[in-house]
Amino acid sequence: MSLEQLDKLVENGEKEQSEELAHRLLAEGVAPLEILDTLTGTMQRVGQQFANLDIFLPEVMMAGEALMAVVDITRPLMLESSRTADVRGKVVLGVVRGDLHEIGKNIVKLMLEINGFEVQDLGYDVDPLDFIKAAEDMGADFIGASSLMTTTMPRQKEIIQFLKDKGLRNKYKVIIGGAPASQEWADMIGADLYCEDANAAPEQMAALLKQKRAKI
Amino acid sequence: MTTVYKLWEMIERCGSGPHMEEDDFLPRRFTPTLKKIIKKYEIRCDPQTPVPDDADLADRVWQAGWELFREVGVYNTDSHRMIMVSDDEIREALYHAKGAYWVGEGKDAVFWKHRQVEDPDPPLCILSPDITCDENLHYSMCLAYLREPLLDGFCAPILEESMGQLISSGGPTEINGCIQHIYNLRLAARQLGRPGTFLVAVGTAEHDSGQIAVSNNEWGVRTTDARLVGGLTEFKTADTLLNRAVHYAQYGCYTGHLTGPIYGGWCGGSEGIAVTLVAYSLMGLVVHGAVFNQHFPFHLNYGSNTTRELLWPIAVAGQALSRNSKLLYTSNGFANAGPMTEMLFYETACHALVSTVTGWHLWEMASTRNKHRNRATPLEARLGAEVGHAVARQGMTLSEANEITLKLLSKYEDLAATAPLGYEYHKCYDVARAVPTDEHEDLYQRVKNKLFGMGIEFPY
Repeated sequence: MSLEQLDKLVENGEKEQSEELAHRLLAEGVAPLEILDTLTGTMQRVGQQFANLDIFLPEVMMAGEALMAVVDITRPLMLESSRTADVRGKVVLGVVRGDLHEIGKNIVKLMLEINGFEVQDLGYDVDPLDFIKAAEDMGADFIGASSLMTTTMPRQKEIIQFLKDKGLRNKYKVIIGGAPASQEWADMIGADLYCEDANAAPEQMAALLKQKRAKI
Repeated sequence: MTTVYKLWEMIERCGSGPHMEEDDFLPRRFTPTLKKIIKKYEIRCDPQTPVPDDADLADRVWQAGWELFREVGVYNTDSHRMIMVSDDEIREALYHAKGAYWVGEGKDAVFWKHRQVEDPDPPLCILSPDITCDENLHYSMCLAYLREPLLDGFCAPILEESMGQLISSGGPTEINGCIQHIYNLRLAARQLGRPGTFLVAVGTAEHDSGQIAVSNNEWGVRTTDARLVGGLTEFKTADTLLNRAVHYAQYGCYTGHLTGPIYGGWCGGSEGIAVTLVAYSLMGLVVHGAVFNQHFPFHLNYGSNTTRELLWPIAVAGQALSRNSKLLYTSNGFANAGPMTEMLFYETACHALVSTVTGWHLWEMASTRNKHRNRATPLEARLGAEVGHAVARQGMTLSEANEITLKLLSKYEDLAATAPLGYEYHKCYDVARAVPTDEHEDLYQRVKNKLFGMGIEFPY
C-alpha cells in the first residue's frame, strides 16, 4: 500500500478503493497532509490531461469525486491536530438568471475544488441578489457568474451594480465567464476577471486574491 | 405526421416519470449508459477516416442512439423527473413522421425532403450567421443574407440591443428586441422580392415569452416558418423549453429541435457524439414534437466542429439517420476562423462537403466559434451552399469525400487553436448596399478556384 497506488486510484476515479486505501495509509501512520500533497499532484496531472482532452469530463469528474472522498476522510484528522490544508479562496458560483446552461460553470467548479478552493454552487437561473446574499453568508472572496446566452449577460452587470448599491463592491472579486463573455465585456461592466479557460481559473483567481490581500 | 407526437402524454410524464436528483442524472445515468452502449455496439472512431464508408457502422450507431434514448430518457429540470419512452412509441413516432414538408410561403416556398447518403439532390440550405450583431447592422445583415440565391431558409443574427437598450432575457427588452428582429427580417425579405422565404425565427428570444410574443402571420413569425426548441446539455429539458414546444405545436408552425452535444463533455469522444446525435434526433421527434433536428456538436476547447473529432461523428450520424429514418436534420457548421480569411472558407467547405455527402441538410455558417459579435458574413454561407450543391449534383461518393476532406483538413486543422478572428461584417461588406467588398469577393473566388482544383465541380 503506498501513496503511489492512491495516486493511481484517484486518477482512475476509483472512489471506494481510494477511500479504503486512504484509511489504511492513515492507520499506518501516513500524515494526512502528505496524502493531500500527493493528491494535489494527481489532480494537477488530471487537470492537464483534461485541458488537452486526453481525457473527458466524466473521467475528470470521477477523479474529482475520488479526491473529495479522501479529503473528507483526512479533514477531521487535520482539524484534530490543528493543521489544516490551506483554502485558497472561497467562491460562490452560479449561472445567472434566465440561463439554464451550466456545463461550463460545473467545469469551473470542479477545477476550483480540486485546486483547493471552497466553492458554494448556487446552480443555474440565479437571481443577482442571491449571488450577493450567498457571498455574505459564506464570507466569500469571489462571486463567479456564468452566462451562456448574450441576452442573459446583462445579469452579470446587475450583480456588480447591486454590489455598488450596497457598498460591497470592494469586498468581493467578481469573476465572469461563459461562451459570449469576453475581456471587452468584463472591462465594460467592471468585472475583476474574465475567465476564458476553466483550467486557468484557479491560478488567475489565486493571483487576484493575492493582490487584494497585499493591498490590505 | 403534421402534429406533434403524443404532446400531452409527454407533458404528463414530466410529472409522473421516475424521479432522480439532477446532479446524478449525467454522471450516474447518462454517461455510464452511453459508455456501455458504445462498447456493446463496438463503435470506434478512426481519425484517419473522417468520412467512413461503412454502412454497418452507421446502422450500429442508429441502434445505439435508439437504445440510449430509450434507456436514459429525458430529464425535466423543473419536475426532477424523467420522461421515458418505449420502443413501440419510438417506432410509432418514426412511422408517422413525414419525410417531406413544404416550408415557406407562396412562390418562395421550398420542398424539404429527407436525403439519402450520396444523394444527388442538393441539400436544403438554411443560411445563418449564428452570431450577435450591432443593432445598426442587423437590417443590413438580413438583406445581405437574403440576397444569396442558394438560400432556402434564413435564421438572422441575434440582437443584443434594441432601441439602444441591452436586451435582458425574460424581460420587456427581449420582447422589444424580438419584434425588431422579425420586422427587420420580414421587411428585408419583402424588399428583395422574396417575402415568402422560409424563416427560422427569432434567435433573439432566449426566453419563451419572447418567442410567443412574435407569433403572428400578418407581421411576425408565420405558421409557414420554423422555430427552435433547444435541449439542455445533455438530455435535459425544462418547462421554459416545453412551453415553446407546446406553443409552436398549437400555433401551427414548424418546430426544430436544437442540440449541441459537446466533444470532451458528458458524451466523451467522437463515438459518444455520434450516438448522441442519433438519440437527440429521436428525442426531438418524440418529446419536443420537432419536424426537423438542428444539430451543432462542438469541441469543448475550440467551440467548433470542423476538426476531424467532430467531422467523424457528423459523417457517421448523418448516415445512420439517413439509412434508418425519414427524418429531416440540418448540420450546423461552427468554424474556428473569422470572416474574410482563407481558413474560414476552407472550414466551411469541409463541413458542407462532409454533411452533404452523408445525408444532412445544411445550416451554414457560424464563424469565430459563434462567439464574436458581428463576425460573420453571407459569403462563407454562400460557399457552403455552393459546395453542398456541387458535391450532390456531381454524385460525390463517401470515399471521394473522405479524400477531399483530408486535403481540406490539412489546410487548417493545425490552426484550430490559434485561428484568425478575421474581420467584422462592416469591414467585409458595403453596409448600405449589403454586398461584399471587392477584397472579400476576390478572396472567396480564389478559394473557390482552389476547391475546384481539389475536385469540387461547382455548377457555376
